[in-house]
Amino acid sequence: MSDVQAETPTVADFARTFRRIQAEIHKMIIGHEQAVEELLSALFAGGHVLIEGVPGTGKTTLVKTLGLALNLSFNRIQFTVDLMPADITGTRVILSGEDGRREFTFQPGPAFCHILLGDEINRATPKTQSALLEAMAELQVTVSGTTYRLKPPYFVMATLNPIEMEGTYPLPEAQLDRFLFKVRLNYPDEGELTRIISSTTGPDDAGIQPIFHADEAPGQVEGLKKLVREVMAAPAMEIYAARLVRATQPQNSRFVTDEAKAVHDEMVNRYVMFGSSPRGAQALILGAKVRALLDGRANIAREDIEQVAVSALAHRIMLNYAALSDGIDAAHIVERVIKSVRAAKV
Amino acid sequence: MRINSLALQHAIFYALAIMIGAGAVVFASAYLLSPLVFLIGSVAIFFIAAVGIAGAIRAGWRMRASAAQAAAIADERAELKGRLSTIVALANNENRGSLWSYLVEDTFGRQDEFAPAKIERRRVSRGIYPLAGALMLAALAYPISKIKRAPQIIPGGGQDDLTVDLDDLHLRPADPGDESGMPVTADAATMRRLEDKLARQSATGGDAAGNSLNQLVNRARDMAGDLQNKLTGQQAASPHRLNLRLADAGGDQDRNEIHRAPDQQKNKRGEVAGQFKQDQPKSNRELDLPPEDDSRQPNSQPSPGGNGEVGIESNAGKDNPNQDDSATDKSIQQSGENSSNGGEAHGIGADPDSLFGAPAPSKLGNEGFEIAIEARPVDHGPKGAGHAYVPPKVRTPLSLEQEPDEPVARTAVPADDRTTIKRVFER
Repeated sequence: MSDVQAETPTVADFARTFRRIQAEIHKMIIGHEQAVEELLSALFAGGHVLIEGVPGTGKTTLVKTLGLALNLSFNRIQFTVDLMPADITGTRVILSGEDGRREFTFQPGPAFCHILLGDEINRATPKTQSALLEAMAELQVTVSGTTYRLKPPYFVMATLNPIEMEGTYPLPEAQLDRFLFKVRLNYPDEGELTRIISSTTGPDDAGIQPIFHADEAPGQVEGLKKLVREVMAAPAMEIYAARLVRATQPQNSRFVTDEAKAVHDEMVNRYVMFGSSPRGAQALILGAKVRALLDGRANIAREDIEQVAVSALAHRIMLNYAALSDGIDAAHIVERVIKSVRAAKV
Repeated sequence: MRINSLALQHAIFYALAIMIGAGAVVFASAYLLSPLVFLIGSVAIFFIAAVGIAGAIRAGWRMRASAAQAAAIADERAELKGRLSTIVALANNENRGSLWSYLVEDTFGRQDEFAPAKIERRRVSRGIYPLAGALMLAALAYPISKIKRAPQIIPGGGQDDLTVDLDDLHLRPADPGDESGMPVTADAATMRRLEDKLARQSATGGDAAGNSLNQLVNRARDMAGDLQNKLTGQQAASPHRLNLRLADAGGDQDRNEIHRAPDQQKNKRGEVAGQFKQDQPKSNRELDLPPEDDSRQPNSQPSPGGNGEVGIESNAGKDNPNQDDSATDKSIQQSGENSSNGGEAHGIGADPDSLFGAPAPSKLGNEGFEIAIEARPVDHGPKGAGHAYVPPKVRTPLSLEQEPDEPVARTAVPADDRTTIKRVFER
């Protein structure tokens, strides 16, 4: 513990730390390798993750395990219809002091932590959902006119239950856009399920070992996040990311300008109502930088961008009813966009 | 550096290949094609070659690579995952971050992977193959020229006297500045008749559009022929001074001169102040007559619409002196438009002056002075060397009862009907 890296982490330190965290998580989480990698990538890229999965696939366990492995504070909020914003951000309550005087004191909510799990976020009202927006985007909450800073690192993981959609409130696009990646947890296969059964029904505990000291963990994670930002992106790669994002936007959209330079795919024009926002390009580059560090490089490559494209762009694309009726999902659109842009010889 | 060298080689090799290939094709076609086809083909090849060369240069220009493009190529071929591209792109950027040195060292450690020999193994562009092909094509064109080189015949070469039928001459004024003509001398009467024929052709030469088109075609043919001569190395006929005599102006002796020496006439027929006609090769056979003794045999039968009618008419003239006299009366008035009413099917036999026998000797004689006129041989090109002059078609309205494609069979004509028949043919 704590021997992972020096003060200023190097590329090798990053990759080694990343793999160690992965290994600790996989002591508890069977399978979901790609999901775990994307989760950690989002963490070190400074973003938040939306996890979509059916019940019982280990969403909560995954977040808890991550908190244990990083030795960071962890909170969980079960979103329900009657959940209020103050239940997330905290509220001012009247407390009696030692001298007997009563005064309003801010009582922090569960948002005040390093890792926050919002379970089934789509079951809360939009008002409550939006309470997370400020915290996720600006690392601060405002209660009764007073702004309170959140301590970095701050990592929000929200889960979506794709079934039992009655009585749910789908996340608005603005809130979806604030999640760096959307990770999908599928059902485990037979081998993974067997391992899950044997590892969770026995007497032995998984024994998650924290990678960092509790007092050093925030600094260590922030150091790794800073290293990610140091990774270099050539202008050609930035242009490639930009063209990928623009290619997700349908040609007939009234919000699209300068159509001449954009790469257009017929499937996008047919099935996409709104394409990715500029945050999608940022997510592409940041995710690619993490991938580059994991590969031992200080520069991003086109392959890095393409590897994170589905996670970074799919949830930012709004499909129309034609796509729903034809069974087209956003991931398929993103894959088509990658092929189109690659064929256009950017 | 190597990539740019290959791009330059690509442009040069392809351009050279196109030029050499096109030149070889034009050179070979100069031997194989007739002048007009050669001209059209050469123009087409010229344009295709120009487009091809422009395309080759454009492709070479596109193949050239800047430092960033070369780095991208190296990244792709050596699987460096953007290392070189990033270094090249950010080399002049001051805010490169703390990982810059790591990137440079990491890339430098892989320098063996992106050595120029590994990135681009070729030193010579693939354009060398089409260039080699073009050179082979050019090498093949030379034997073709040797095989197809026809013996050069300079019409009029070594001949001072040229006897032609006035009807076989197509007259047109010499082009200004055209010095390729052949000075021709003739007696005053001959020159007068030539001038008359020229004047008549100018007056009744048909529609202007057709004439101008013919002139254009003739000029194009001339130009193509000259170009072919230059390419094949054959010289156009040098302007010889010819003493021109008309076949019908010197009596039987002159007229029969055509019959006696058909082979010579093939190369001697000419166009006054212009060029010889060569677009009706069928007339080669028309002039390919038996020797004088054979043509005068009485059992020679006319062949309606066939070849060799000239000789047959001569026999008829010998057999019937009256007819000969009739023809003699008309011989002075002989004109070009009368001669070929029946077109090729009738030939000279359709001449109203010789309908009933050989024409009488012309009353015109040699006045003893010469006038130089321009003319040049008909068959001066490599392809046309074997062709003889073909009398031009003259548009003359036919009789309503006459079938244009079925010449009237020659039969014994009653003396009373001869005048009528002659009028019909004179139309």
